Amino acid sequence: MTLTPSPAPDAGEGVSVAPRAFPTSKGGLCHKGWTSGSVLRAPDRITEPLVRNAAGDLEPTTWEHALSMIAGTVRSIQAEHGRDAIGVFGGGGLTNEKAYQLGKFTRTVLRTKHIDYNGRFCMSSAAAASNRAFGIDRGMPFRLDDLAGTGAVLLLGSNVADTMPPFVQHLAGVRERGGLIVVDPRRSATAALTDPVAAGEGGLHLQPLPGTDQTLLLGLLHLVVADGLTDEEYLAARTTGWDEVRRSVSLWWPSRVAATTGVPEEQLRRTAALLAAASPSRGGRGAMILSGRGSEQHTDGTDTVTAAINLALALGLPGRPASGYGCLTGQGNGQGGREHGQKADQLPGYRMIDDPAARAHVAGVWGVDPDSLPGKGVPAVQLLGKLGGEVKALFVHGANVLVSAPDATAVRRRLEQLDLLVVCDFVPSETALLADVVLPVTQWAEEEGTMTNLEGRVLRRRKAIDPPGQARSELEILADLARALGSQVHFDTEPSLVFDELARASAGGKADYSGLSHAVLDAEDSTRGHYWPAPAGSGGTPRLFARRFAHPDGRARMVAVSPGAPEDDLRRDAPVYLVTGRVLAQYQSGAQTRRVEALNAVAPAAFVELHPHLARLHQIDDGDDVAVTSVRGTAIARARITGTIRPDTVFMPFHWPGDGMANAVTNDATDPVSGMPEFKVCAVSIARADLFVPAQVEVLV
Amino acid sequence: MVVVGAGMVGHRFVDELVRGDVAGRFEIELVGAEEYEPYNRILLSEVLAGRADLRALGLPLPPQERVTFWRGVAADSIDPASRQVLLSDGSRRDYDHLVLATGARAFVPPLPGLESAPKHVHVLRTLDDTRNIAARAMNAKHAVVLGGGLLGLEAACGLRRRGVPVTVVDLDTHLMATQLDQAPARMLAAQLRSLGVDVVTGTSVVEVISAYDEIVAVRLTDERLLAADLMLVSCGIRAESALAADAGITVERGIVVDEDLRTSQDRVYAIGDCAQPPSGTTGLLAPGWRQAEQLVASFLGRDELDPSGVGDERPEPVKLKAAGVDLVTMGVRASQACDHDRVLSVSDGGARRHVDLVVRDGELVGVTVLGFPEVSAALTLAYDRRTPLPADPLALLVPGGSSGAVEETPSPMRMPGSTTVCRCTGVTKKQIVTAWEQGAATVDAVAGATRATTGCGGCKEVVCGLVDWLNASDPGTAAESDSGPVSTAVTERNIPVRTTT
Repeated sequence: MTLTPSPAPDAGEGVSVAPRAFPTSKGGLCHKGWTSGSVLRAPDRITEPLVRNAAGDLEPTTWEHALSMIAGTVRSIQAEHGRDAIGVFGGGGLTNEKAYQLGKFTRTVLRTKHIDYNGRFCMSSAAAASNRAFGIDRGMPFRLDDLAGTGAVLLLGSNVADTMPPFVQHLAGVRERGGLIVVDPRRSATAALTDPVAAGEGGLHLQPLPGTDQTLLLGLLHLVVADGLTDEEYLAARTTGWDEVRRSVSLWWPSRVAATTGVPEEQLRRTAALLAAASPSRGGRGAMILSGRGSEQHTDGTDTVTAAINLALALGLPGRPASGYGCLTGQGNGQGGREHGQKADQLPGYRMIDDPAARAHVAGVWGVDPDSLPGKGVPAVQLLGKLGGEVKALFVHGANVLVSAPDATAVRRRLEQLDLLVVCDFVPSETALLADVVLPVTQWAEEEGTMTNLEGRVLRRRKAIDPPGQARSELEILADLARALGSQVHFDTEPSLVFDELARASAGGKADYSGLSHAVLDAEDSTRGHYWPAPAGSGGTPRLFARRFAHPDGRARMVAVSPGAPEDDLRRDAPVYLVTGRVLAQYQSGAQTRRVEALNAVAPAAFVELHPHLARLHQIDDGDDVAVTSVRGTAIARARITGTIRPDTVFMPFHWPGDGMANAVTNDATDPVSGMPEFKVCAVSIARADLFVPAQVEVLV
Repeated sequence: MVVVGAGMVGHRFVDELVRGDVAGRFEIELVGAEEYEPYNRILLSEVLAGRADLRALGLPLPPQERVTFWRGVAADSIDPASRQVLLSDGSRRDYDHLVLATGARAFVPPLPGLESAPKHVHVLRTLDDTRNIAARAMNAKHAVVLGGGLLGLEAACGLRRRGVPVTVVDLDTHLMATQLDQAPARMLAAQLRSLGVDVVTGTSVVEVISAYDEIVAVRLTDERLLAADLMLVSCGIRAESALAADAGITVERGIVVDEDLRTSQDRVYAIGDCAQPPSGTTGLLAPGWRQAEQLVASFLGRDELDPSGVGDERPEPVKLKAAGVDLVTMGVRASQACDHDRVLSVSDGGARRHVDLVVRDGELVGVTVLGFPEVSAALTLAYDRRTPLPADPLALLVPGGSSGAVEETPSPMRMPGSTTVCRCTGVTKKQIVTAWEQGAATVDAVAGATRATTGCGGCKEVVCGLVDWLNASDPGTAAESDSGPVSTAVTERNIPVRTTT
């Protein structure tokens, strides 16, 4: 987008926003983009540091006081409980520079192993599966605009029409060709894109029972094998493990898969045939399999993505023109945020923290002893589980865990037990309101930096206006805190310098940025794009896998997987599945978008989407308040009755706190490989709110 | 741990045990009489029909480091006293625990004419059977399938797909008598006939006639002669229990086991088609798999987890796998329903479609669906997972009951002013009309004024339609919005005004 500083900032917007022609957005902006200027001047924007006073209220203070108070408390906690008693929770919305610096600060100043970030809720299953299969994790290993020419797209559990509207433009070609297949238990706005376009035939919407995505994919692979549609030459030359994978799908014959998923056999056969016909090895234009959170946020999410990748490999897609597997990133910097050290087990450049060579390289850039770096921490849900126990203090950057974490009511209890909660934010999010110290930070149009998008393209963020009040960049805050904590480690505060250091730290790693700098990104035609890996002198890599995969033997690793059931599964007293997701006009925990009037006008509150059959069974009318209850908690929101959802499933958006907080109901069981919580399915009961009787009433004495 | 039988149940048992026995407590030996690697027997009829590549059948191989697999070796006898199994290669294997998963064999009734074992009379149980039948089908002029059960019908359809004229002969008054009522069975016969599979019921083969050691015809009970140069006998199965019986283990219809799958002999267990548990036998796969899981759980000292989390077991769904026939049936049949059950039946002869649903106490307890693939998967799932039913079960018969009717996009003039036209930017019809009234007479101008169409671009057509309609309905307004009284009430603009010529 193009930003123009508004001549009258007091009139509401600090900048005016306009779309511009760019290969990814194709000149499109969604409602959130158009109105993003008003987040800069949110009426309750935090403009000065806040510290909780003796009366228990947050009151303004000076930066000096806030930082010295934090430093003092951190020192005494670490003296008493050890370094790992401090936790850090980052975010996929931070710039690459901030994410990098946060990881560095954690490992060199706090020297705690306890860091993770909200991308764990987002990208971790796809990342784990991609790393396992390809040896590298770049959301899309091809260019986003490659979609235009492909013949078929299998979109798994992603509602891009709501979460990333400009993306839909890239689907125009495949829709016209009748090659769009959307898998979603709801007939979402994206699923509706499979309706016939003009004279075309239309695509396919598969509407499986929640939690059965992996079974569906195994069934598709079975059909591809049974119909002799595999690309055996490719499989022999470019993969390992195919024999085992082929055998593993022998038990997923179509009628069994249809009975498990509820997707008619005919649709399974058509899907397999569409994908195979579009595969380049069979003379097609290309086929892509793309996954989103709907298929990933499960206790078998990593294996589900692996099943998707296996299907892509069996058809010979990855590395072929307009073909392959990709995942659709959920946050602005969901890609870059997972590459530079916010993850519990990672160092910059997507290096592993338990790899001695990686430690030595990064420690060299940081000017510290490799042995001084902490080891592997734990994934986000486990980290949150340690609050108040092993972890006594928490720094939160770019996250609102009180609304966004699963089983959020339990998270609140744990946050309240902390000795110190420091939240860096630009608005008083629900989590910030619980903090002991709130530090006001800069946001998008107020800072320089970079983000890496879903196709691995590094994008510049540019400053258009000054931040209000005393807000500061996290880069300055982390440098100041390092000093206050007596660290000798050098922290740059100038974003371009931080990027240069990031580039050095990433050199030779999987996500290699060493050929990039702010100057390089600014100098050339931005529409060409700079894709990592971009080692010095390379000019970047728009498309991966044409010749080899990133494992040492150059082959993709196929791993046989088998579906798991939802951890919290249907039973007599919880006979309906809850699935959660986003709406178009809100974003994540809503901390930003709920402060934009125009967005609230469209999406004012949480709701419960349910089928007329289910509604009638419970005597619920459209607009009635509905209580949705799991073993963890209850959320109450307005009924929205629609025939576009399965009758055994209800849907709630997760953007709101309070009574309608979907994450009070969701399950915090996690995937054993990725640590991804099972946001996308749990068993619930529903009732009209006025008839709702809480099953367990805790008696307080 | 010695497991005899590498079929689907024996294989499942070993697979579960290897997964569950993380500590490696058990040394596992698997004995399989067939030369082939373990394969998915369920799909043999699909292979016969040419609908599945053989490569789709291979089951995961037991991991070599955990399991010793004696392939192509049969178990000849058991010596319970010394706890040994004697194998056909002459070796003896010691066991602490012996699991018999020997399965079943096809039952062939003692028909006159079969004693001489004429050529081209087959059963369908193994990969070799399938290959032999498929090979014969290349030259066969007419096939007879004796037995109108699930497998017989699948095989008949498969042979028909290979171009062989087929007649199914069944002694019962109707097809699939174990699973179906008469009405759906009649509809099934009609559907099969339309596919070119002839069906003769209420009769049987009394004699197999051959010439030069090859079958040429069969004689039916009604004296009719049917020419046949290929015959498939599909008259059910008998438990493969000789091994157990010879060792003195109690055998009735199958190897008798108790609730914990123990045979009468200490340390010997039986699962799958060879076993006869107190709950009875079904010949279906799912109960055998459950027995495998149950036995593994008991060996590993785990409490048996009920995977459905529901409790009481229900009869398995039975699905006919054949191109052109979509039949699935499960649970209580319409004819077995009680007085207070709700029974919904649709018999749609013209479309050869039949549905019976039995709802008891708000739960779907019986489903038979023929020729209605749009609802069969959803109904199977509702039965299996016991998901809530609509208050009126009749709604279950509407296809897309799960997806619902897609709301049509209303025409520009009839849509209410509050309708969101551009979802991406949240622009309503009213806002577009207002913009038009303020001078935005083209799509681009409307986009500039309201941001509509600037997200995914999907609403361009609707906005275009709106602008065209506005321009046509009230030419001049957009251009001279200040001249004269102009209605700005959106509701009035919902009335089509193109009445003047």
